[in-house]
Amino acid sequence: MTDPRTLPAPDRVADGQAKIARLVSGLRQVILGKEQTIDEIVASLLARGHVLLEGLPGLGKTELVKALSRLLSLDFRRIQFTPDLLPTDITGSHILQERDGRKEFVFHPGPVFTNLLLADEINRASPKTQAALLEAMQERRVTTFGETRPLPDPFFVLATQNPIELEGTYPLPEAQLDRFMFKVDVAGVDRAVLEEILITRIHGEPPPLAPVLSAAELRDLFALVDAVHMPRPVAAYIARLVAASHPASADAPDPVRTFVKYGSSPRAAIAIGAASRALALLRGRPGVGFDDVRQVARPAMAHRLVLDYTARLEGWDGRRVIDALLAAIPEIERGLPQTLEAR
Amino acid sequence: MHDMPPSVRPALRRLSRRLALGVFLDIWPAWAVASLLVAGIIALGCRMFLPGAASYLRWFWLAPVIVAVPALVISALRAYRPADVIAVADWLNGGRGMLLAVMETRDPAWIESALLQQGSAFAMPRVRPWRRLALVTAAAVFLGTALWVPQRAPRRTNSVAADEIAGRLNAAVVELKQQELITPADEKSLDDEIERIRRGAETRMDASSWEAADALKEKLAADVAEKQNALKWAADSLARYSAAAQAGASDPGAQASAAELASALEKLARTGLLAGAPGDLQKLMKGGKLPADPKALGELAAAVSKYLADANGRVASMARLGKEFGRFDPAEFPLEGGEDAAEGDPGRGGVTRGRGDAALTWGKETQPFDRFKARPLPPGAARSADDWSPLVELPGAPQAAPESSTAAGARQYDAAAGQSAWRRTLAPRHQSAVKKYFAK
Repeated sequence: MTDPRTLPAPDRVADGQAKIARLVSGLRQVILGKEQTIDEIVASLLARGHVLLEGLPGLGKTELVKALSRLLSLDFRRIQFTPDLLPTDITGSHILQERDGRKEFVFHPGPVFTNLLLADEINRASPKTQAALLEAMQERRVTTFGETRPLPDPFFVLATQNPIELEGTYPLPEAQLDRFMFKVDVAGVDRAVLEEILITRIHGEPPPLAPVLSAAELRDLFALVDAVHMPRPVAAYIARLVAASHPASADAPDPVRTFVKYGSSPRAAIAIGAASRALALLRGRPGVGFDDVRQVARPAMAHRLVLDYTARLEGWDGRRVIDALLAAIPEIERGLPQTLEAR
Repeated sequence: MHDMPPSVRPALRRLSRRLALGVFLDIWPAWAVASLLVAGIIALGCRMFLPGAASYLRWFWLAPVIVAVPALVISALRAYRPADVIAVADWLNGGRGMLLAVMETRDPAWIESALLQQGSAFAMPRVRPWRRLALVTAAAVFLGTALWVPQRAPRRTNSVAADEIAGRLNAAVVELKQQELITPADEKSLDDEIERIRRGAETRMDASSWEAADALKEKLAADVAEKQNALKWAADSLARYSAAAQAGASDPGAQASAAELASALEKLARTGLLAGAPGDLQKLMKGGKLPADPKALGELAAAVSKYLADANGRVASMARLGKEFGRFDPAEFPLEGGEDAAEGDPGRGGVTRGRGDAALTWGKETQPFDRFKARPLPPGAARSADDWSPLVELPGAPQAAPESSTAAGARQYDAAAGQSAWRRTLAPRHQSAVKKYFAK
């Protein structure tokens, strides 16, 4: 438990920022033109949160996760989710084996027993299989046949899903969506980035990457992120944001009242706080600022909103609602007097 | 805030002052507008219903200053706390959180850091009070307009106006009495007359009431003028008699001078001016004979001259009555526009009393004209020597008594004398006043 009355030492912060910068730099070598996406994924990773990447095929989602595993020198597994995938295909199962003339059930760990799990096209699997990830993601342990086994530390799930293939897909339930700290939208790239890709990637192969962070260094970074100070006004801003995402809230803006059925959970507030700390460290600061919160609020809250059917009719999605929420809720509880104007 | 690093403190103090000003400007204009509007409404009410408060209305301009006091108190109660100021400063700097983190932890390791220096380099918010002050200006214009509205004079009741008329007349009578220019009998008569005018005005207040009052004042002025004439005649006749007596008893004019002096003294006695005269003079009047001895005659002449001079001074001091209550003097009311305007349409002298040379305005008749029965007016008195005109040059003192000169209002001027324009005609609207004055 860090002392909330002290800040991490400046040299510690600088050292942590340098390490994170190496990680970010490596990722930017692999994925071009996705600086914000990379920052958000790294922030989620440092906050020990799981990430759901949503985007069209071929945008580099899988490559990004693979690059991350290489840079962190962590154990990496990939599961390609299909409709016939079974929960035991993820968690592992007991297999009857003969040992020393005796037959017994021996547990064979599934691919979930790794540091970095890539759940590719997660919405293709059945809900039952998806639910197999629930305990792993939240509790970081797996229970089979009444026996609970902890997962390696650190454990991250980076899932991808395709937004356009509706047939044969099973949308993730709200409970499972809530387990993801961030839902990151992987957008397309512009022409300049495409030109750069064509010149530098003949077969689309990314450049070779060397690990930049060991597991121990990553744990130090986790501790450092936890030591980043959360000022009370910033915490109050996060609380007001999450509270105002509920349509019954007095501070809820009109889009929230109109299009949101259920607002964000307290888990969203916790996720924003943790991710803001990580982002502040990424920026070399010992304390969280309002701008950190603004940046992480969108990927942390948008997928946690349960929207009304009218939102789809009117063309509103979670991201747009969060944008309206950020515009409506002031960062400081008591703003400037009406006769003063910020420059 | 004093726990913050010294490098950050000045900026935070400036921001704190700016925020305090902003809070005050959020509160005070609304109060000022309300106070000005209320003051304007009160001023309008006073302009219409409370003339006594007119002299105090200009103090209403202090209303915005007065309400600044409670506005300051409320501003102090709503002032930004140090933590709020630092939060605002951090927000103004882009929300980086450095100021907040250092404020909450007081971590000395970060006090001199470059990040904190960057965090304190925020731009001060600009003061934009114009929209609110425009409302204050509009409210001030409203108050100014309310104060600019002319004071509405209350309608006086008949009794108040009647008392005012009677009061003015009584003041004139009292002054005459103090100068011993009226006898007790005259005083009683005047008091009765004033009371009659007052009662008439109470019953019905119109132009005739003022005309009746003016007529009485003119009568007083005429009495004073008559006394003045009598004094002058007595002094002149005394001088002529003394000259004749020194020339000798054989002078044919001596007897005429003595007769003239006797007539003048008799006239003086009738006007009541001999009531306070020295004993010699009263004795002379009782005996009716002038001393034949030149020395005694000289002493008597000196005593009479002294008395006459004294009495003349008193009468002269009252002569202003004629000016105060006299008829319209065009010189007192110069027409606008210079000489051209003077030749223009006359009659702008007042509401009921136009210029003396103006054509009479025949308004609505209060009574049919033929019901008025003409009645000769009593002889008046000349107001000044200018009213006199030489009829004939006599060798020596005139034989006719001064009272043969009639009052200007009743004098029938000869058209050939060129004074027909001065002839006064009784306007129909004055008839009731004249009748009221002479009705006994």
